[in-house]
Amino acid sequence: MPELSYREAVRDAMSEAMRRDDDVFIMGEDIAEMGGSMGVTQGMLEEFGPDRVRNTPISEMAIVGAGIGAAMAGMRPIVEIMYQDFTTLSMEQLVNQAAKHRYMSGGQLTVPLTVRTQGGAGWSPGAQHAQQLEAWFVHVPGLKVVFPSTPEDVRGLLWSSIYDDNPVIFFEHRTLYGLKGEVPDQIDPIELGQARVHREGEDVTVVATGRLVHEALAAAEEAEGEGISVEVLDPRTLQPLDEDAIVHSVEKTNRCVVAHEAIVRMGFGAEVAALVQERAFDYLDAPVERVGAKFAPLPFAPVMEEFVIPHQADVLAAIKRTVGRNGDAGS
Amino acid sequence: MPRPRAGAPLMATQMTLPRLGQGMESGTIVRWLKQEGDRVEKGEPLYELDTEKVTQEVEAEASGVLLKILVAEGEVEVGKAVAVIGEEGESVPDSSGNGASAKRVGKEEEAETPDRVEPDEEGAEVGVEKPAEGPAREPERRRGREAAEEEAERAEGPAAPVARDGGRVKASPLARRLAREHGIDLAAVRGTGPEGRIVAEDVERSAAGAGAAAAPAEAPPGEVEVVPLTSIRKTIARRMTEAWQAPAFQIAMTADMGAAMRLRAQLVERTREGEAKPTFSDVLTKACAVALLRHRAVNAHFAGDSVRIFPTANVGFAVAIEGGLVVPVIRSAERRTVAELANARADLVSRTRGGKLTQADLEDGTFTISNLGMYGVDRFVAVLNPPQAAILAVGAIEERPVVRDGEVVVRPLMELVLSCDHRSIDGATASEFLGTVKAFLEEPALML
Repeated sequence: MPELSYREAVRDAMSEAMRRDDDVFIMGEDIAEMGGSMGVTQGMLEEFGPDRVRNTPISEMAIVGAGIGAAMAGMRPIVEIMYQDFTTLSMEQLVNQAAKHRYMSGGQLTVPLTVRTQGGAGWSPGAQHAQQLEAWFVHVPGLKVVFPSTPEDVRGLLWSSIYDDNPVIFFEHRTLYGLKGEVPDQIDPIELGQARVHREGEDVTVVATGRLVHEALAAAEEAEGEGISVEVLDPRTLQPLDEDAIVHSVEKTNRCVVAHEAIVRMGFGAEVAALVQERAFDYLDAPVERVGAKFAPLPFAPVMEEFVIPHQADVLAAIKRTVGRNGDAGS
Repeated sequence: MPRPRAGAPLMATQMTLPRLGQGMESGTIVRWLKQEGDRVEKGEPLYELDTEKVTQEVEAEASGVLLKILVAEGEVEVGKAVAVIGEEGESVPDSSGNGASAKRVGKEEEAETPDRVEPDEEGAEVGVEKPAEGPAREPERRRGREAAEEEAERAEGPAAPVARDGGRVKASPLARRLAREHGIDLAAVRGTGPEGRIVAEDVERSAAGAGAAAAPAEAPPGEVEVVPLTSIRKTIARRMTEAWQAPAFQIAMTADMGAAMRLRAQLVERTREGEAKPTFSDVLTKACAVALLRHRAVNAHFAGDSVRIFPTANVGFAVAIEGGLVVPVIRSAERRTVAELANARADLVSRTRGGKLTQADLEDGTFTISNLGMYGVDRFVAVLNPPQAAILAVGAIEERPVVRDGEVVVRPLMELVLSCDHRSIDGATASEFLGTVKAFLEEPALML
């Protein structure tokens, strides 16, 4: 199996779709000659030309609006919002237009639009360039929300997103772009709404997304050394959500930790906690723990940024709380 | 509001009417030996109570000040509050929970003991004095506020000291469910979870302890023989428990064994010196193997996220041994003649009895036959042999009256009960398979 970085896997899914299908094209800020601010679209202008790899003005509202129009006219556009912080500027288009047209037209219109964006802290981009806002979009019926954590997943899920007839907000994580991993020879589409169990365990289920999948796996490894068996599950798509996979896992382990980089309050973890208490209440042997960023704007100072965002140690501490072990008690 | 406020921090002790003997439902308070405001010590006589049998003094359950006498005189049901003992100056908790509903007989008491619920200040003001002048929809708003207060009280509940009886015990939902299932009172379980919460492990420990404590009391001493599990029994226990988790269903058919008996007799006649004589089991193995290849969905394993369907029928048959049973497997049974099956079976049985089976003899089975006919069993239900999708239970061949063409005739019949893993196969598939087996037994030529 070939090895690709997360960044290359994103590019590969887009390029393959564009080679196969003239309806697929991409547009966004600085994606053509510059190859995107994160280098994801490098080389695509040379292969596909300026008609299909289109630079746009600095207007997120216009970028998404144009994408919606093209999608309704029969294309399968991919638009890039350089930082997910900037989706705020396209909210009207995303929430009131893209999410609503299929419903309001009684199914006469579809919006097969993929909105790719990225974010994530850990490199001091400050308060306006690294937020994790995925939970906002899960709240809007009509949108699908995808948040992959590995090269294999990002490729298979982006493919399915491009070919989904609904608008998909596709979140990539800034600090995962360099992550390498094996991928199938051919693109293997991954159905939206299917969780992936990265590691099986008996004592506690960690439901993690994005970067925190890797933090959770490291925490699980550490917990294993202390005799705690941890299952790590990545929902991969937040909408639709693989509820059964989460519930079945918690039914097995009786404990649940939710971990994401986004702020804890009103984060996606709150929804998972609610789901688990609704559907697995009588299986719970401990309160559901939430791990996420502290309720503060992201600081620029690295020490403060590290303080605010969650890490492996935070996941491990939560794991230990659910199994009734304090960090220092060791019993 | 009839709701008892269990979550409110009650420092005062509510004295309830005790049950002083079996069958006592109520008692009549004759007179109080202490007055409201008096200091009382625990164990001191508090009031005189007349029951059906005797009149006796009832003692104080706590030390403190007799804050309030709730029932001055008259008949009271067992368990109803009759008085409150607490510290001086302490407010008397709302007694509406049960004190007010005590059955009173005397007349004076009715006047003395207000029937009204003591409302909180705001409620009294809005609800009683100016209902008509309140803001729009005030009653609903008030209900909302009250509900919110209750909600807040509930939320604070666990933090406040709780009464032992009726108080909320801190336990996880799983622990509660297990306690319900085991009939264990959580109040008697010590919690070892975070903040003293009772977790599943505590309930399980308690259940195990209760079981261990109860068992010796009932068992006659010295007569219980404890036999440690041998490794084969452990394996059987583990695999049968695993099998029990499968959603199994059973279907049954009865086969007329007349033709199979004739076939077997012919085959026995042709058996050469030194070769095993074919039995009904061998004919049945052949019938099953051929039928499995015609209904391949039954020749399968359930593998969690898939069903594995095999191209050949490796038929296992249960063999009883000392202290257990094993299931040696005849591979590709559909390709063997009945005589070959007989030889293979005889070889496996003799090696089983001689303890000479190898692991390979026990592996790769795709279907199992369990035959208890030789023990005179008419019919039985076999437990699945996981991951196999089905197992056939076979009873004895017995002559029974049956109706054929409107006539009662005597025929040799054999009952077949097929247990199936519903995750792999459904009733229709199972029925078609078993129907084919039956047809093969009744008309062996159909196997060709």
